[in-house]
Amino acid sequence: MGVLQPTQDAELINRKASKKGKTDKDLLKRNKITESEPDTEKREMETDSKRPTQNPTELNLQPVKFQCQISFQFDLASLICLVVGIATRFYNLTQPHSIVFDELHYGKYVSLYMKRTFFFDSQPPLGKQLIALAAYIGGYTGDFKFVAIGAAYPENFPLFAVRFIPALCGALLPVSVYYLLLQLGLKQLTAATAAFLILFDNALLTQSRFILMEPMLLLFSVFGLYCLLKFIRCRESPYTFAWFAWLIVGLFSLTAAVCIKFVGLCSLLLGFYVVWRDMWSLVANKNLSIWSLVSQALVRAVVLFAVPVALYLSLFHVHLSILNKAGPHDSVMTSAFQASLEGGLASITKGQPLQIAHGSQITLRHSHGRTCWMHSHAAVYPVRYPDKRGSSHQQQVTCYSFKDVNNWWIVKRPSRSDLAVSRPIDAIKDGDIIQLVHGMTSRALNSHDVAAPVSPQNQEVSCYIDYNISMPAQNLWRVDIINKDQVGDVWHTIESMVRLVHVNTSQALKFSGKQLPDWGFNQHEIVTDRVVIQDDTVWNVEEHRYTKSDDQKERERDMVHAEMIPTRPTTLSFWDKIVELHMKMLFSSSDTLQDHMYSSQPLDWPLLSRGIAYWVNTTTNAQVHLIGNVAIWYSGTIAIFSYCVLLVWYLCRMRRKIYDISADEWARFDLVLEIALFGYGINMLPYFCVERTLFLHHYLPALVFKIVLLAAFTEHALTVARSCRWSNLIYWPLQILFASWLLMILYVFVQFAPLSYGCSSFTVQQLLSLRWRDSWDFIMQRSALDVDMLL
Amino acid sequence: MSELKERTKPAAKKNSKEWWFAFGVIVVATLLTRLYKIAEPEHVCWDETHFGKMGSWYIKRTFFFDVHPPLGKMLIGLSGYLTGYDGQFPFEKPGDVYENVNYLGMRLFCTLLGAATVPFAFVTVWELTESLEASFLASTLFLLDVGLITLNQYILLDPILLFFVMGSVLGMAKVGSQTYKAFSAQWYFWLVWTGVMLAGSISVKFVGLFVVLLVGLHTASQLWNILGDTSQPLTHVLKHFVARALCLILLPILLYVCFFYVHLKVLNHTGNGDGFYSSAFQSQLIGNSLHNASMPREVSYGAVVSLKNHRTGGGYLHSHWHLYPEGVGAHQQQITAYTHKDENNKWAIKSIAEIEPEDKDEVQILRHGQYVRLEHLVTKRNLHSHKEPAPMTRKHLQVTGYGENGTGDANDVWVVHIDGGVKNQPVLTVTSKFRLIHHLQKCVLTTSGKQLPKWGFEQQEVSCNPNFRDKNALWNVEDNFSPKLPNVTVQVYAPSFWERFLESHAVMLQGNAGLKPKEGEVTSKPWQWPINYKGQFFSGNQYRIYLLGNPVVWWSNLGFLALFCSVYFFQLLRHQRSPEVRSHEHKKLAAGVWLLVGWALHYFPFWIMGRVLYFHHYFPALMFNSMLSGVIISYILEVVKELLAEKVAFVFRHCLLGLFASSLAYSFYLFAPLAYGMTGASGNDPNSTMQSVRWLESWEF
Repeated sequence: MGVLQPTQDAELINRKASKKGKTDKDLLKRNKITESEPDTEKREMETDSKRPTQNPTELNLQPVKFQCQISFQFDLASLICLVVGIATRFYNLTQPHSIVFDELHYGKYVSLYMKRTFFFDSQPPLGKQLIALAAYIGGYTGDFKFVAIGAAYPENFPLFAVRFIPALCGALLPVSVYYLLLQLGLKQLTAATAAFLILFDNALLTQSRFILMEPMLLLFSVFGLYCLLKFIRCRESPYTFAWFAWLIVGLFSLTAAVCIKFVGLCSLLLGFYVVWRDMWSLVANKNLSIWSLVSQALVRAVVLFAVPVALYLSLFHVHLSILNKAGPHDSVMTSAFQASLEGGLASITKGQPLQIAHGSQITLRHSHGRTCWMHSHAAVYPVRYPDKRGSSHQQQVTCYSFKDVNNWWIVKRPSRSDLAVSRPIDAIKDGDIIQLVHGMTSRALNSHDVAAPVSPQNQEVSCYIDYNISMPAQNLWRVDIINKDQVGDVWHTIESMVRLVHVNTSQALKFSGKQLPDWGFNQHEIVTDRVVIQDDTVWNVEEHRYTKSDDQKERERDMVHAEMIPTRPTTLSFWDKIVELHMKMLFSSSDTLQDHMYSSQPLDWPLLSRGIAYWVNTTTNAQVHLIGNVAIWYSGTIAIFSYCVLLVWYLCRMRRKIYDISADEWARFDLVLEIALFGYGINMLPYFCVERTLFLHHYLPALVFKIVLLAAFTEHALTVARSCRWSNLIYWPLQILFASWLLMILYVFVQFAPLSYGCSSFTVQQLLSLRWRDSWDFIMQRSALDVDMLL
Repeated sequence: MSELKERTKPAAKKNSKEWWFAFGVIVVATLLTRLYKIAEPEHVCWDETHFGKMGSWYIKRTFFFDVHPPLGKMLIGLSGYLTGYDGQFPFEKPGDVYENVNYLGMRLFCTLLGAATVPFAFVTVWELTESLEASFLASTLFLLDVGLITLNQYILLDPILLFFVMGSVLGMAKVGSQTYKAFSAQWYFWLVWTGVMLAGSISVKFVGLFVVLLVGLHTASQLWNILGDTSQPLTHVLKHFVARALCLILLPILLYVCFFYVHLKVLNHTGNGDGFYSSAFQSQLIGNSLHNASMPREVSYGAVVSLKNHRTGGGYLHSHWHLYPEGVGAHQQQITAYTHKDENNKWAIKSIAEIEPEDKDEVQILRHGQYVRLEHLVTKRNLHSHKEPAPMTRKHLQVTGYGENGTGDANDVWVVHIDGGVKNQPVLTVTSKFRLIHHLQKCVLTTSGKQLPKWGFEQQEVSCNPNFRDKNALWNVEDNFSPKLPNVTVQVYAPSFWERFLESHAVMLQGNAGLKPKEGEVTSKPWQWPINYKGQFFSGNQYRIYLLGNPVVWWSNLGFLALFCSVYFFQLLRHQRSPEVRSHEHKKLAAGVWLLVGWALHYFPFWIMGRVLYFHHYFPALMFNSMLSGVIISYILEVVKELLAEKVAFVFRHCLLGLFASSLAYSFYLFAPLAYGMTGASGNDPNSTMQSVRWLESWEF
């Protein structure tokens, strides 16, 4: 029961490794009480950061540029944002000097990149590539083994370099949000407020300090949207350099977000919407001819399609060309894929004869879905099953997920009795009738009208034992090569996908997906099924060699000591690889539905019901815990709700021809609605429909949009307050309220900052005093507490 | 709002002879196709085994649990009752022959409700478009779809659901077309009709919520139009709003609650669904062990009890002679939560002293804060927990049955902690809610509600949660046998109707969420539905019925759907280009938009549902699609008439309609055996007569 577990979604293969990470005992050890000292350096930073919000009047430039030129204008506010961002994100970056949360996975991937070893992950590669690049520059060689959360990094590990990219992205995020708000036509004060909120949200800070993907995802999403907003400002002058540049850079950035995590797709869709919305409004412009409209629509469509596809594919190309060595995840992929990697299967299968012939010794792999090989062993089916059905009592045939000497089968033509392969070889073709003899027991693969052990609707498959009880052998199988159009009609090693159709009953050999009980050693069941055309009836030969001798003992010796001499590598085209990889990525993650101690539900997020424990020091109780700035999160939720209510109110009033706000203000309100509210919705709602383990950090993209909306809402409220009848009366109190709200956010941030930096120790009492909500589970020693305290 | 004013003209010649003739033809044809061979096959088909059984339970008044709301089954029960069915047939499994069973009444009832969808479609499309052509085409598509016929002819919830859904849509269209005579008696009639139909839809199956959404959106858009009419005062809008709120929100809710009231009133005998409900709920059922129960008031050491978990739908603490499989924690005896009453739910309460006190007269009452061991009565093993992860919820500890003949180890010790209790407070039967806290591991006995895989017989997982604030960790003693204490009549606090209502819903929701596809089970996928990829067997063996849509209807429906979308987008584009062009507001297109929304609302939500899905879930969406096809064909004919010369348009029109009608009729002829029963060789057999119409490999008839 590891208290600190990495998320499963990042990884399904490493589950075993992470299970071993039993750190709970150490984590729960009682620590000595050390007072957390007020961090003077931090205090200073925080006072700095107030500046942009407090003296915006003197910086009141006209921020929104309607010209179409690339002009970099650093105003003081953005500069301060940048400095504070860098200071908060990089402060003590190499602390804690041990593996924190999902660093376990991502660190492992970085090591594998360094070693050029193939690995399988259900997310695209860009984020890992960037971090690997930084690690490479930092001089990392990939030797460190990421074993468990909490394990210390060695002294020579370039931790700063590895954590550099996420921290940098985290530091740039406030500035990007600042400029995004300016592009939305909001005031500089508002933009600075949004940047302030991003800076002082504890969750965004925590997430930026470790080897995690979200900071990059967020930065690319926000920056991409900023570019596309810039692009639509250039609508008056299409096809100019700026027009193309902003469009392409924006799409590039949004696609980069997709390449970090698939959820980036939500932002990309929002970007598409921005471009489409602009195009739609152009349609109404009578100054443009139909043809210019059509051509512009076409150009946009081409760019919208080409940029993402090109970037996505080229990143995968880089990914696959770097990772060219076999590694621990190979068995997820098909034999053909594995054979294309250096070492591993390739080294075994190199030099195998290509054509399967009479006398070939083969292993038959189940091609789609679970990796296993057809297997038999000297154990028989039980005479009666618990449900009183009988069996044939013949030798079991199973599908076994590990390489084993009992996976060898010998291909035999029914008419011949010798087994050694002699020239010219007697190749097996599509449609040929064969027998399959189990290598170690020399019994033939058989099927008959007896219900299979676990799937009674199917026929049992066995290795035939003649009990002389009028149950004749039915051991003839027809070879159907499915992809004979591509590989020809001779049965080839690895390449040919075959179905083995039982001649007597016309049923196909099938992996049923079910496990046998104890008597079958929990291996998987193999049956024959009436429905021939299905994925589970597809098999391919993985290992192959020709039988050299007719003597059975010698054959067995050969099988046990099989070793091959590599001569020729197999290749698989980039397209085949990428298609296969995506099939696995998209359809493998669904079966990783497992519970995690700190998983949460989408409905928990807006009100911050749970955090995630990332790391804990076993002696001082110092810990890293992902938890948001509760003041920001709650105000954001209120803002979203109020925004929707206001929207309905304004719409109804406008329907009655009553205009409460100016057309300008309404246009701003509407634009914020379409970017921030849509952005929030599109990043949030899909999570209600996915069936997998979710974590608080999945909410962060939505959080950024929520903060944008929150800042915009404060501006709207202040604007309305100033223009209303009692403005003298309420405007100043509102401003004071606004200022104290900012102070409160700062206060909350300071309270929880030690949980982000993980360098100050805690007593149990201090932790309990931080537990503002009952459901926040900070890690603490429990034996000190009595039952009622925990309840 | 000139549009509204124009509408003050009464709808065009509705009562013309032509209209009644077309309507009559449709009604007669519907009755002929629906009632043909209704009594065949004379055995239980497919889900009749469930719904027939539940209808019988209503007649016998025994309580049961189902994931759907009660109206559909109550109606089936009622129709059976009225037609003389006595509720004694067991409906055990599909294929059971009805011998001397009066099943025809129930089938006839369902069929008639299902048949009503066809004339409903006719009138709906008429109200939406005022085009006889569109109405006739749409209802013909309904009429000749063999899938609808199959689905309508049996004792199922679907015909009833489809009836209410179409009824709601009809009401929606009627109310929409009668805006000009708002607040008249007729208008109110249709408003109330819509409300009643909506209530019916959600009271049959929860998917009725989609049509509620559709009607809600339509109502909102109407109110939006009324709001935009600034010539009317705001009170006018308010009046409209209140009328709709009363008839479309309040009335359905009231009816829904009423149906539940009847449901709970009728089912007052104990049945097989008791275990899903709390002890208090059960005490209201005649025949249940808790009904007027006589048990000791306090729980004492030495008593034999059953423990009921307090989560909704939570079961009894249970164990049996089976071990956790290898690799799932320790290889010890399983402890589960089981929702049915059983001998294996019984536990003996023991003190922690190794030897039971000899003194038989002294009775020790179990109190708050005391240590206790629980011994499973049948297997003589103690309730035990240790530092191994639980099978499903990995963050919890595994709970096992441990020891031989009641002798275990220190990990068998639990502390009784009454919720909000004080020291020495006695544990009372049924009324005390308490936690069992593991003494050594400091964790609390709980059930996560997750189903164990096959090895655990799909019972619920029981685990020990290190987090004491687990809401599901409360238990109560339900049965209490103690020879030492006198039995008294336990006054179980009788829950009010509302508490029972809420509990039923909590249990239903949980049941619905639990309908996940099992490992290795093949379920129907939503993408397969519109293309009619695969059907469903209703009856096998000698007399085969296969639920499959008429492919000509289904595939052309998809084509027309795409056509509508492109036409509408094109008209929108024209409007955006020059705002004075308002061709997208053409009556037929506006009608089409609502039908499209209806289709989407009844189809896309299935994509994100995690539960087990079936092919027949598509039929409500299909109905919207068929209506849309009728509308768009007549729109195209109308546009063509305007664009082309009269002669050409005439020829085009007749060719198109002729082609459409003949292909529909021919395909109906081809596929009708699927609905009315096939005998002889199966479709796989090359000799079979149906082999020629097996157009897709995936059809299995």
